[in-house]
Amino acid sequence: MSAQQKSNILSDEEELLNGLGSQLLSHPSSNNMARLNKRWTHTVPNHNGGHHRRARTIATPTSSFTDLSRHQQHLIDGVHDPVIMNDDTLSPGQLYSTDSGKLFHAGRILVVLVGLPATSKTLLSVAITRYTRWLGVRTESFHISKYKADVDKGSDLSLDIQSAAPVTEEGKQFKKTMIKSIVRDMIMFFIENRGQLAIYDALNILASDREELNRVFSKLGVKVLFIESIMNDAELVHRNIEMAIQSNDYVECSKEEAIERYMKRLTINEPLYETMTKEEKGVSFIKYINFGEKLVVMNNQYGYLINKIVFFLMNLRDKKGCVYFARCGTSDKDKYIDDEYLNEEGLEYSKLLTETMLRRLEDKKKRAEQGDKDENISPLIVWTSPRKRTYDSGRFFLERGIPVTKRNLLKQLNPGAIADLSKDEIKEKYPAEYKESLRDPYHYRFPRAESYHDLAVRMEPLLLELEHTSNNVLIIAHESTIRVLFGYLMACTCIEVPNLKFTRDHIIEISFSPFCNKVRRISIPDGAINYVV
Amino acid sequence: MGFRIIANDQDVRICVFMVGLPARGKSFISQKIVRYLSWLSIKVKCFNVGSFRRQLGITQPDAEFFNFANQEYVNIRRQSVINTMESMFQWFEDENGTVAILDGTSITCERRTWLVEECEKHNIQPMFLESWSDNEDLIMENVKEINTKSPDYAHLDVASATRDFMKKIEYYEKVYETFDSEKDGHLTYVKMVNVSDEVIINKIETYLQSRIVFYVMNIRIKPRCIWLSRHGESIYNVEQKIGGDSILSERGLAYARKLKDMIEENAPGETLTVWTSTLKRTQETAQFLSFKKLQWKALDELDAGVCDGMTYEEIEAKYPEDFKARDADKYEYRYRGGESYRDVVIRLEPVIMELERQENILIITHQAVLRCIYAYFMNVPQEESPWMAIPLHTLMKLEPKAYGTKVTALKANIPAVSTYKEKGTSQVGENTKESQLHNILRRDSEVALSR
Repeated sequence: MSAQQKSNILSDEEELLNGLGSQLLSHPSSNNMARLNKRWTHTVPNHNGGHHRRARTIATPTSSFTDLSRHQQHLIDGVHDPVIMNDDTLSPGQLYSTDSGKLFHAGRILVVLVGLPATSKTLLSVAITRYTRWLGVRTESFHISKYKADVDKGSDLSLDIQSAAPVTEEGKQFKKTMIKSIVRDMIMFFIENRGQLAIYDALNILASDREELNRVFSKLGVKVLFIESIMNDAELVHRNIEMAIQSNDYVECSKEEAIERYMKRLTINEPLYETMTKEEKGVSFIKYINFGEKLVVMNNQYGYLINKIVFFLMNLRDKKGCVYFARCGTSDKDKYIDDEYLNEEGLEYSKLLTETMLRRLEDKKKRAEQGDKDENISPLIVWTSPRKRTYDSGRFFLERGIPVTKRNLLKQLNPGAIADLSKDEIKEKYPAEYKESLRDPYHYRFPRAESYHDLAVRMEPLLLELEHTSNNVLIIAHESTIRVLFGYLMACTCIEVPNLKFTRDHIIEISFSPFCNKVRRISIPDGAINYVV
Repeated sequence: MGFRIIANDQDVRICVFMVGLPARGKSFISQKIVRYLSWLSIKVKCFNVGSFRRQLGITQPDAEFFNFANQEYVNIRRQSVINTMESMFQWFEDENGTVAILDGTSITCERRTWLVEECEKHNIQPMFLESWSDNEDLIMENVKEINTKSPDYAHLDVASATRDFMKKIEYYEKVYETFDSEKDGHLTYVKMVNVSDEVIINKIETYLQSRIVFYVMNIRIKPRCIWLSRHGESIYNVEQKIGGDSILSERGLAYARKLKDMIEENAPGETLTVWTSTLKRTQETAQFLSFKKLQWKALDELDAGVCDGMTYEEIEAKYPEDFKARDADKYEYRYRGGESYRDVVIRLEPVIMELERQENILIITHQAVLRCIYAYFMNVPQEESPWMAIPLHTLMKLEPKAYGTKVTALKANIPAVSTYKEKGTSQVGENTKESQLHNILRRDSEVALSR
């Protein structure tokens, strides 16, 4: 850690003066007293060291195009996209933007996960990353497993380095180097990439390791919070092992072998485990017990952002099911102002949707019975928006005894003045508004309309309910609503969200796994599955 | 689009039962939850067991009344809980309520089991909020507050009231059963140990429950005060333009200087933290204060969108429909390309949460934002809050207490234009009847308790 690096971490005080880049009182500038500082804009320091205000352009067309194609063609979970220094792209759930890229005056925070193997640490770190990024926090998760990659999987060393306290010289050295590089990378993240929240995913079951982390990062002005995951529910642990052996560490061995190796990993660490206690002086920690059933928050002094994470953890549960999205069927006039029931075509579609959906679940159930533990047999529930034709689209599910609930929150984006207008009509009637909307389609509101951002804020409870439920949930809704929910689950940016396409010929399936969420497209009516990876 | 729909999409009904010995801040927490949830437009009501007991004719009981060995008294107290519950169920039915708070002690397992059963019968989700404390200072602070404010002790001098109250606590301690993770593992409960030193959260099942816990985690019980001020008069204020990012007028600067003196005079020796918005006029107002300053984007003025920089007369002429629509529903009205009061309330979440955690904060912000913050502390309904007159060049001191928030307004006696616009006109001025009615500060220094 050089002195140069240290000085690059701004203190809270410095951050106020420099980081926020507000024009200070010494130069009350020109005659122009108009407000340039809107909710979605902030100032960017120029290269001369001074500050100048400019309205932030949300994205250049080129970058939006590449970003878009990445998600549209591959539909990859964006939760691991690196946080980039000068990338000021806003997040969908962000309340406002700041110059420093930091929010809530929360400073920099390191969350350290603690727990034995198979306690869902990776899942937790990724889930917190997803949620805080959605809120606009510059978060990145750091997984120790990535740093072990180049060791031969079958070797003795490979087992030794799975231990929190390796016994061989080589193993000890390896652990040291590994921690050194991960700590270095996290420091770089705070300094170079203007990171606000780093999440460190490793065992960290030794009090001495934790003390060292706390010492190093506290000295740098980074607040440290530990989250200890404890599982004493045997079924949960078992499920976690099944899940863990699907990870890259175990790709080239048989399932039995993988379980055996995993159990070894658990056995060597169990005796070393030092659970967190009040005796670890001045340390703030959260005990996360049996996947959110119980939480103990100790000595929490870090404020809004940490409380928001606790809030999230209260809602997060072990997800056994998948989330499915489908559009509703068609109605005659197909207009926003007429709230109509389905027409013939729409009914036909709903029938096919129901059959396709149930066949998919039936297939999964069969595979689960044949011993594929990856598959789930959770019950299905259906949520629809309150509009007539959408609720009507669920009628064949109802007929089969599957619960269908109208959710007011799923109401489509209110189009306001541009309801039922074609693109050309909008251009003609609202030329200025149209032009403005192209600059920032995510935040722009037409007269009396909602923006996607409004929708994202309004649907927050649903996002958390999706994190909570263990059912399979099928959401039948308007494209605008699906865009936002999908955007959350797949960590899309606000450039991507308004451009996502959902058509009536597919059901979208999102399945959860610890490291990232996966999307499949199920074709209606033949049920063909497009495994988009 | 009401927030009530947002947070209560599935007609969830929740009852929060306060648990704990007397003087553990239960009433304070109940009142805070009520204020927070109603600020978010969620229908909430607090039911105080003590007031139902008073309705049964037991108005100023001495400690003996709380002796659990006396069956007659135990029966009366049980009856007051039964009456409270009945009244609460009635409220859920009649008013379509969402969250009820039962402010009592609920300190035995037997009682709590009964409460859960009753709730289940009425399809209400029960959750318990226990405030456990062994912090003597904190307890004594609460005892003092209760002895001076509660009608139960109005007839006693402070020393006898305290003696009697401590005896009452002793009786309760004999039967107190705190939440236990083994025995109570099946219940939804939150246990706060010495406010926030340790918080145990068990079996949270719905979004709204988690939202309440999230809020409670930010509350501090310590007595403290919050200082609020609008920025000094700005050039735009003088020109009667709204919004903008203008600098202060001469008189505005004079207020900025005076503000330093006023703080020194009214909060001598205290170290405050100053929160401003990112707009120039609030920073200029703070410039003579030598405290630590934080800028919050969330404190920026309500964005008037296309109307930014216009006078009300210009708006009325150029956007007559918008002008009318805003007067018709000022809370929900969104300026074209701008914000509504509700939008401001949502973006203020981090500020409010931090404000609850911190001590000694001076906020220098703007008219609409100040109205929202004031409405939160004083429980002003949303039909009224956007119409409150909060004049320039006035410093307000808020002191949140268990039974309400005390407000003191201090005028700087530096003249400033009025920016108050009453309904149906584009003229500004505070000398109208309307503004007098809505003026929260009808005298130079007034004490008002929140409802």
